Amino acid sequence: MTIVEFFQTLLTASFFAAILRAATPMVFAALGGLISELAGVINVALEGMMLIAAFFGVVGSTWAASVWPEASPLFFALVGAAAGLGAAMLLALVLAVFYLEFDANLIIAGVGINILAAGLTVFLLFSISGDKGSSAGLTSFALPTLPLRLLQDIPVIGGLFAGANGNGHHVLVYAALLAIGLVWVFLHKTRLGLRLRAVGENPDACRTVGVPVKRIQYVAILLSGFLAGLGGIYLSMGYLTLFQANMTAGRGFLALAAIFLGARSVFGTAGAAAFFGLASVFAAQLGLLDVPTAVVFSVAPLVTILALLAFAWRRQRRTRAQVAAELITLNARRKDTPDAQA
Amino acid sequence: MQNEIVLAVDGLGKTYPNGTEAVKGVSFDLRRGEIHAIVGENGAGKSTVMKMLYGLEQPTTGRIAVAGQQVRLTTPQDAIDLHIGLVHQHMMLLESLSVAENIALGAEPVRGPFLDRAKMNREVAEVAATYGMNIDPAATVARLAVGQKQRIEILKVLYKGARILLLDEPTAVLTPQETRDLFKAIRGLTELGMTVVFITHKLVEVKEVADRVTVMRDGQVTGRVEPRDVTVAKIAEMMVGRPLSHKPAERRSPDLPASVTARDLTLIGLDGRVRLNRVSFDIRPGEILGVAGVEGNGQAALGQVLTGLLEPAEGAARIGGTVFTGRGVAAARALGIAAIPEDRIHDGIVTDMSIEENFVAAEYRNPRFSRRGIRDRNAVNAATREMIAAFGVKTTSEQTPIGALSGGNMQKVVLGREFTTQPRFLIAAQPTRGVDIGAAEGLRQQLVDLRDAGTAVLLISADLEETIALSDRIIVLFKGQIVAHFRAEEADENVLGLYMLGAERKAGANGCIDQQPEHAHV
Amino acid sequence: MSSIAGGQGSVLQEVIKTLVVIVIGLLIGMVIVLFISEEPTKVFDAILTGPLPSASTLDDGTVRWRGMTRFGTFLEDSITLALVGLAVAIPFRAQQFSLGADGQMFLGALASAVVSIYLPLPGIVLIPLAFLAAVIAGFAWGWLPGVMKARAGANEIVTTLMLNVIAIQFFIYCVTFLMLDRQAGFIVTPFFQDAAILNPLIHRTNVTWMIAVAPLVCLLAYLFLSRTNMGYELRVVGQNPAFGRRMGMPVDRTVALSMALGGAAAGMAGFHIANAILKRLPSDFPAGLGFEGIVVALLARNDPRLILPAALFYGYLRAGAQVMERTTDVSREMVLVVQAIIILLIVSENLLPRLGQWIGLGRSAR
Repeated sequence: MTIVEFFQTLLTASFFAAILRAATPMVFAALGGLISELAGVINVALEGMMLIAAFFGVVGSTWAASVWPEASPLFFALVGAAAGLGAAMLLALVLAVFYLEFDANLIIAGVGINILAAGLTVFLLFSISGDKGSSAGLTSFALPTLPLRLLQDIPVIGGLFAGANGNGHHVLVYAALLAIGLVWVFLHKTRLGLRLRAVGENPDACRTVGVPVKRIQYVAILLSGFLAGLGGIYLSMGYLTLFQANMTAGRGFLALAAIFLGARSVFGTAGAAAFFGLASVFAAQLGLLDVPTAVVFSVAPLVTILALLAFAWRRQRRTRAQVAAELITLNARRKDTPDAQA
Repeated sequence: MQNEIVLAVDGLGKTYPNGTEAVKGVSFDLRRGEIHAIVGENGAGKSTVMKMLYGLEQPTTGRIAVAGQQVRLTTPQDAIDLHIGLVHQHMMLLESLSVAENIALGAEPVRGPFLDRAKMNREVAEVAATYGMNIDPAATVARLAVGQKQRIEILKVLYKGARILLLDEPTAVLTPQETRDLFKAIRGLTELGMTVVFITHKLVEVKEVADRVTVMRDGQVTGRVEPRDVTVAKIAEMMVGRPLSHKPAERRSPDLPASVTARDLTLIGLDGRVRLNRVSFDIRPGEILGVAGVEGNGQAALGQVLTGLLEPAEGAARIGGTVFTGRGVAAARALGIAAIPEDRIHDGIVTDMSIEENFVAAEYRNPRFSRRGIRDRNAVNAATREMIAAFGVKTTSEQTPIGALSGGNMQKVVLGREFTTQPRFLIAAQPTRGVDIGAAEGLRQQLVDLRDAGTAVLLISADLEETIALSDRIIVLFKGQIVAHFRAEEADENVLGLYMLGAERKAGANGCIDQQPEHAHV
Repeated sequence: MSSIAGGQGSVLQEVIKTLVVIVIGLLIGMVIVLFISEEPTKVFDAILTGPLPSASTLDDGTVRWRGMTRFGTFLEDSITLALVGLAVAIPFRAQQFSLGADGQMFLGALASAVVSIYLPLPGIVLIPLAFLAAVIAGFAWGWLPGVMKARAGANEIVTTLMLNVIAIQFFIYCVTFLMLDRQAGFIVTPFFQDAAILNPLIHRTNVTWMIAVAPLVCLLAYLFLSRTNMGYELRVVGQNPAFGRRMGMPVDRTVALSMALGGAAAGMAGFHIANAILKRLPSDFPAGLGFEGIVVALLARNDPRLILPAALFYGYLRAGAQVMERTTDVSREMVLVVQAIIILLIVSENLLPRLGQWIGLGRSAR
């Protein structure tokens, strides 16, 4: 592949589709992480919640097909999706109970949840299918793609809605785009969203005005599990149509980083998650150009770290400038009023 | 109508699970339209009573009746439903949210699940107008001044329909101007039929604004008076439990050159506010310089600059001619600076570590206690035992976690640690805060002994009596500037109070000894 | 946020709580096995006695040991676990949530490999040099997020997780492009020079003198924390940084140092895996061991004196799980589930009071 060909591929609809595909699970998980982060609960367990959802999505759809063989594949997929989301929310509930009821350290409990998910999925996979690597031996069902013919017919930009092979994007790709707006509306336009942000900023202040802090944190953690779960079922019921051991491959951690990179705002977080998706697609493309993928895979984490340092640097510089400016006005005032001179 | 009892408390008591009896058999009643002050020293149980009235804590004995009906208050929501509102001592605001969001939080107007922002802003503006408070509902709280924030705190409870307002030390962080505005506002509220309960230990304010006063000491009510009938001194006596012995320590002003000289110390906070504005003073060896001021006028900042925690934007302080500010805490300590921090639990100790490991924290690098970075635990142990004996710390062992001690004994360890360094200059911030009266007297004596041994002492205390009793000279800080400088024998609380409130100021005042203080004038 | 610095409550109470948690974790594991396995007794037997060698006397009277390899695996794993446990425990003592042991271990192994493959030196110089290289690499990779935290307030969870990715990708890059053994048929470095490889102390195992080094390092860590000024600073800063600052302690340096020292221990773990066990570096060097260090550190309540018993316990469990996987119908990831349960229970400060409260409430429900 030449450089020219490389850039040509960048401009195709299928490349755009690839970015959306790569970004979707991370956007879901990052939005979920953002909701709990804003409620004052940092969710280190996004990775585990995605993984468990991916697993139970596959197992659920397989199970549905065995119980109701007459039903349609879409029904199997929906049962699987429900099972995956349920499993992720159950895991979120475990985290919430341990943190809010048993005073467990949030971060370590989150790591524990990740280990639980990693262990449980492989353990159960082996028990069910006799294989530890993937669910290839099981017949599972994907959620469908959704062709939006009307939009696809629009000239020039219509191609963006074509998906990888002209059949439109996966239904969860649209859902992820929709989720960005919905989460923003939730956080900024609803009562629960306002209270959630308030709880994250100052729980004591909320308690004194009768806002039920603990209940809101439960809701935030569960929502976080729901969204991470959507990211997880996309991986096993869209991105691929099977479960692989550790198939999240650190996406949950990148999602966590996206929150910080996005300065804890909805659009910033979604943008950072999309950037991580972009970086991974580039990695695949650059692999064809003989650029080592290892280098490209390092770009996203490197950018995150540099961004964190840049935020800090800007903050410090702004503070210093503020202090200097105040000192100048102070001295100017002193000249005007000799009275204050010692 | 004026005598209608809106809330009555009968035999209220609170014993904590650890056995502490914070409140014992307290009874009082509140009448419609009155300003009712509850006064008492730190730890007298005032705040605990407030928390029980607001459902934040449950009484172990006694009854609360609202409008003649006995009630159980288990959550703040219960209290809010009964039209009781609490304004906390510390601001409980969400800085990143708008004024209206802060005020409405907990009772937000909604349409379905959505916030009705227009209605919220309109309602908040209406409530503010009703009670004559001028605010912009859409402004972000972080940008507001302290006095405005206080108003938002009050509007928060009014918005939720409070008819009985509990204000916990509302003036602690206000400037005199803001304090006057506040009093005007609460007077306006009572004229509209509200009842205001107002906790304070500032007796001048009580005299100024309260209709009735309930005095508390050691968890009990020790007096019920109408302030127009009694003097401030009488209320003070009920608070403390004995006539105040205005027996000051023997004054000293050794005729020695100053050992500590601060010149033009200026500090600008991270938020861009001026915390200290050209503060200059001298302290001689063997002299205590007291700092008086309303909380938030620069005393804490001065202590932090002098201990090396914060770097002054301008100016410097020297000891024996060497600059010790702006070079970090370790450098300052190496020059013989020691400090008793204002917030003992947060800054003064490590609660989970032993007395021994707390004691050695200031001097662990001293060759007495470590060589080449290796600690000599026997030496530490021996020195700790010595200190425990010398300061009368009540403990079973030097290995006891310091968190298990009483406040007074913790503070003895803190003093013991700082005194053992044989400082040339001690910054003592609120040295007896939250300590029972007996222990406080011992701590004060030890401060005086240290002074007599030749240490220069800067005493920062919110307790004016303490400042007057212990200091040799006193400076008054207002908005980060020294506005007055007295010899202690010439100062009294009323005079200091005027300067502290900014009502009076001496032009160009500083605390240098080449400019001996003028006689106080009122 | 609840404290993880350790040191609260009496030691006896803590130890009893830990033992109770272990028992609960194992019991839950057993219940799962009863549900899932068709041969539960065989499973329990494999876990409980699997890692131990067995002796049999041959006809000619000589004693023959069987199962030495898996007994060796148990000890080798325990050494790794003790070192990564220490790598987690030291920053935890300073209240730093460093999750970077993985990346530090990768770089430690890589640094050691560079020395072990390319420097033509005799073993007596080469091995200490490789060890040192690993320690320095780990130290540096721990110091980096430490400084970012101390100077720029960068959240150490995020930075260490990101630095893990970078370290692992760098490792893969080096093995794939710079150090590849083209004859091997898979992506791996050449074998280390013989002089760089640690000799086994027990025949047919990779148990080397690292079995003495790991306890020694734990002892040094204990002495460091309890007997040195820097260790004292680390403990104080972990419990109350504001106080440390008031006492003139170098708080920023201490935060960075705690993470760097953790990194050094992780680097040693990398050296152990590289020079004692694998003797060359494959591109799929085992990731995730850094997280296993967390359970060891938690079981030891972050006390270096208890790291070794905790590592041996967990190492035994892992080795038993491997035997279980080979001989029964249950996979070894079972142990991860038990591990997760132990982690969740052990960090729950308020577990028993709250459970008691719930039961009590159930009885006297209004």
